[in-house]
Amino acid sequence: MSDEIQRLSAELAHDPASLVFVQLGEMLRQRGQLDTARKVTTRGLERHPHHADAHDLLARISVDAGELERAFDEWDTVLSLAGDHVGAHKGLGYVLFKQGKLPDAERHLAAAATHHPDDASIATALRVVRQMLGAPANATDEQMPPTVPAAEPGRPPESEPPSEPPSEPDLPATERHGTGDDARLLFVELLGDGAQTAILLDGDGLVTAGAYMTEDGQDVAQEIGAELSGVRDEAQRAIAHLDLGDWRSVTFETEVATVSMAPVSRDALLLLAAARSIPLGFVRRTLTRCTRHAATWLEEEA
Amino acid sequence: MRSPFEQQLTALVRQPGVLACLVVGESDGIIVDTVAQSGVDEHAVAALAASLFRRARLSARAAGLGAVGFLELEAECGHICATGRDELVLVALTELRAPLGRLRGSMLQLAETLA
Repeated sequence: MSDEIQRLSAELAHDPASLVFVQLGEMLRQRGQLDTARKVTTRGLERHPHHADAHDLLARISVDAGELERAFDEWDTVLSLAGDHVGAHKGLGYVLFKQGKLPDAERHLAAAATHHPDDASIATALRVVRQMLGAPANATDEQMPPTVPAAEPGRPPESEPPSEPPSEPDLPATERHGTGDDARLLFVELLGDGAQTAILLDGDGLVTAGAYMTEDGQDVAQEIGAELSGVRDEAQRAIAHLDLGDWRSVTFETEVATVSMAPVSRDALLLLAAARSIPLGFVRRTLTRCTRHAATWLEEEA
Repeated sequence: MRSPFEQQLTALVRQPGVLACLVVGESDGIIVDTVAQSGVDEHAVAALAASLFRRARLSARAAGLGAVGFLELEAECGHICATGRDELVLVALTELRAPLGRLRGSMLQLAETLA
């Protein structure tokens, strides 16, 4: 248990009415301790039933646990308590998108964009949904913030849902794998608010999932993947000659981003780019989570 | 003849878990200076690490990500760390137990003097 979690737990034990349960629950969620996070948050809500951020946290825990309907209910509650809660609009947009309810998803994402015009991840999510609805991507550009900067996204994630989704509906590789837009959103739940982006490459270096957005809204995942996947070959060559065993990851820090890659099953490669402002340890943790998620997805696709 | 890097390389190798530290030409993988524990194939480490760093640098540039500052390869039995400047690459080969945060700081500091 980290010192901070220990401290917050002690504080909560000393004062069960304390609001630190939100912070504690969030830390537990980020560590993947979902059951404990849920217990802490639920108990806190028994004392503070009108705490919108606590309901928002419970919704994100539910998303992590794959319980989208429960997440929906919690975010719905958040909006009844705080109608302009950006996280709730964003989260509901995500859940509704996953449920195929695109017009409703668009409505919530548009509301989130109105309240939070600087959040590039909302803008790209909105763009995707609008394209899928058949509307011009710039239909309401006056309301839309700029799209996700490719590799200088921003700040560490504070909420899970929509982060760096796609803009162009016909990326060749994902189409080839028959997965389309769903595949491009594969890592949305694991990434933050646009500060990180992830793509999954197959053995030929072709993108099978994820997206990599430029500032002007173009998905350049294939180009980035092609340029960076060659590093894997060099890494494999090095460890083979030096008897270092299997390679686990390669991470390099550039002027604008931290790039980290790791092998996934069936010769696939997970590539993660994060803003330099994100601590290296957090990037590693996200890489591990995305790699596991990708492996599970590949198994399901097989 | 002592190289200008010998003292710093020796200090790096004294850190726990560090097996070898080398200054290598990026384009040819030839050793400029090295301090290593016995049993380490320095020439192989030099050539492979320089090649890896070069590839990462070129790939990052092609992808529009700018210059590479620090690279780390993690494998089952150890790490290769590298940083470069002016066609030279500073390389460290370590065991898994090596404190990478501290090593990274020391390497970036030493890389400032590479030329």
